Amino acid sequence: MGALVSAAQRPDCGAVSTFVGTTRVDESSGASVEYLEYEAYRPMADRKLEEIGAEILDRWDVRHVSIVHRLGRVDPGEASVAIVVASPRRGPAFEASRYAIERIKEIVPIWKREVWSDGYVWVGSQVGTRT
Amino acid sequence: MVKVLLFGAAADAAGTRQLELRLDNAGTLHDLWPLLESQHPGLSPMRDTLAFAVNGEYARMDDRVSPGDEVAVLPPVSGG
Repeated sequence: MGALVSAAQRPDCGAVSTFVGTTRVDESSGASVEYLEYEAYRPMADRKLEEIGAEILDRWDVRHVSIVHRLGRVDPGEASVAIVVASPRRGPAFEASRYAIERIKEIVPIWKREVWSDGYVWVGSQVGTRT
Repeated sequence: MVKVLLFGAAADAAGTRQLELRLDNAGTLHDLWPLLESQHPGLSPMRDTLAFAVNGEYARMDDRVSPGDEVAVLPPVSGG
């Protein structure tokens, strides 16, 4: 994260906004989420992330965007996605980072499943092996 | 042949992550679906939730599919 922020700092920008999505687990009685596992359709997912970056550069006065999404196992409370946006002004930086996470959840072919002690559930499809 | 990739809950429902469907002439995704469904009926209940991509780009059911194309079956995305 520190490296992503350093890479975004530029003399023509007065704002670097960061968004870090972390894995939240909602406990329910009797079982708990042990970890989350992400899978992606690559290279389409990489291309969709690039498209989101291009949309941001097109819509706001933003000079730098980086988006990183983890795949594979991510433990509860860990970072799963990081978005770093640099802009001359804070308004566009905040707006663009919000836009990035919303678009990721709309169009990037990445799926997560919650692995519980008694099976797993695909988030979004709400189906899996838990009984 | 058309290469079909399945992800997430769709891979579970089909029991496979990759398969090939015989398609001799160009058709649409709409034409391809019954072939897929007949081999993997587990996909039927999630039909309305699925999106499709052809050669790595989102596609509509009336978009063309030709032999050699790669079709991806995409359940609702849940990144972030």
